[in-house]
Amino acid sequence: MITNFDKLCGDLEKQELEAPTGIASPSTYAQLLAIYLYQNDLCNAKFLWKRIPQNITSSNPEISAIWAVGQKLWKKDLPGTYQALAAFTWTEPVANIIRALEDNIRERTFNLIGRSYSSISIDTVVSMTGLSKDAVLHICRDRKWMLNEDGVTVSPTPPTQPAPLHTSSEDQLFKLTEFVSFLEN
Amino acid sequence: MASPLEQFVDNVRTMSASGSFRELCEVIGKSDESLETLDIQQHSLGVLAVLVAKFSLQQGGDVDKSTMFKQIHDFITNCNGEQVRFSPELYAELCHLLTNYLVEIKQPIRGIEILKKAIRKIQLFDSQLTSIHADLCQLCLLSKCMKPALEFLDTDVTGIGSELGGNNDSKHFLLYYYYGGMIYTAMKNYDRALYFFEVVVTVPAMVVSHIMLEAYKKYILVSFILHGKILPMPKYASQVRLIMSWLPPNMLLSNIAIPSSEDKNMGLVNQVLSSMYKKNIQRLTKTFLTLSLSDVAARVQLTGPSQAESYILNMIEEGEIYAMINQKDGMVVFLDSPEKYASPETLCVLEQQMAACTKLHQYIQEMDEQIQVNPQYIKKSVGSHDEDIPATSQNSKTTYSM
Repeated sequence: MITNFDKLCGDLEKQELEAPTGIASPSTYAQLLAIYLYQNDLCNAKFLWKRIPQNITSSNPEISAIWAVGQKLWKKDLPGTYQALAAFTWTEPVANIIRALEDNIRERTFNLIGRSYSSISIDTVVSMTGLSKDAVLHICRDRKWMLNEDGVTVSPTPPTQPAPLHTSSEDQLFKLTEFVSFLEN
Repeated sequence: MASPLEQFVDNVRTMSASGSFRELCEVIGKSDESLETLDIQQHSLGVLAVLVAKFSLQQGGDVDKSTMFKQIHDFITNCNGEQVRFSPELYAELCHLLTNYLVEIKQPIRGIEILKKAIRKIQLFDSQLTSIHADLCQLCLLSKCMKPALEFLDTDVTGIGSELGGNNDSKHFLLYYYYGGMIYTAMKNYDRALYFFEVVVTVPAMVVSHIMLEAYKKYILVSFILHGKILPMPKYASQVRLIMSWLPPNMLLSNIAIPSSEDKNMGLVNQVLSSMYKKNIQRLTKTFLTLSLSDVAARVQLTGPSQAESYILNMIEEGEIYAMINQKDGMVVFLDSPEKYASPETLCVLEQQMAACTKLHQYIQEMDEQIQVNPQYIKKSVGSHDEDIPATSQNSKTTYSM
């Protein structure tokens, strides 16, 4: 389901820049705004929102709805973000990006919780991820986060780092040779 | 054969000589005929000259400019790069005209793609700065579409186009760095923004330009956001001391902080305030190992434990501090950076830095060689020291090749 958003992003940017009157179609704007949010590129999203002409934003509630999500993200108001995401019935092709965006935010939040809390109440996790309590408990089990004896707090463990990429020793030797030859000359 | 171009030239000559500029305007407005006979690819320079003449004269006349955008667009897409490189001043002038026109009709976004193309065409290499760069940045700022400018801003400049260097006006150079700094500030890349503003204020100059003054204000604000204090200026900043004597930083801050002041730096000032909380929390990590959230709130003067928690959480996400929050006991444990500097990523960063240094060394060596063979330099150094300088330059040569 995950399509290549980076490529789509480039195409949409190009469409906007090459629009003959400097104003692109509402659907271009909507998709581009959603993709910026997906990439967590809030600065660019903010400026895109600011440069979309007024008459387009007022006649396309979807763009305003996407930016409502962006505003919550900007303020780091996670519960508000999920409310804003759920408050609008998205249409294709934006819906696709929004789904990916929601998963992305949730994944980031879980990683953040893992990194920054040694114990956290389940209610906080529920509000930070916008999931039901059962779903949170399920994910906690998946991530091997221990439920404490009091039954209301969990002890998250830091997310495991992705396996480091190995460069071939030949490659390293090459770089080392280059470096030494630079020092000697 | 009296071609339309010859006729055109004749007309321009006679009418300019006789001072009948009104008629000249009309003739130039109709100069499309002469344009048509020229092939953009083959006679790029000629077309360029006619276009510049046509559009710069129009300011007085009332000829409509609707065709201007399309003509310049066609020209930049199709012109012969090698030819126009002989006349970078005219080429840049054309781009300035286009920029001014687009700013006037408030459609700056349309010019971005053309100017990008224009820069690529006139550049000899990627890291060459031209005066068109400033135009591009201006359009990007005005259209609030910053991303296209970043690819140019991210390349460090190693050469300067001939129309920008030499005895010419430094306006476009200053503007490029000023606008670039603003773009980076907008993108919250404060590190780079600070560098760009620094370039503006450290440009050697006889008088302080207004651009430098504005850049200095932003330099101070960004420096506060990034480091929590004003970084000392490098020693080679010639003019900034002068500005400082007019406007000491403290006075400047209180000046800017007045909402009614005409400076449009209010947004930055607000960010300075919120960054102060972060700096204070960062300072706590240096003193304490564990601290309760309410203590954090009290020491940093936040309203309560929950606000402190959200600040700390944001800072952990940004990687500004390393800490663990324990919600059960309401405590924070400040940790050391988990980086052991032993991972392959570190090695990768190190390799990149080394490559950058090697490259820089190369540039310096090239520049050194160029200066060594510069007749003016040799004349001067030989004239003033006779045999002293050649000896030392020999020495420096040997140290290089060692």
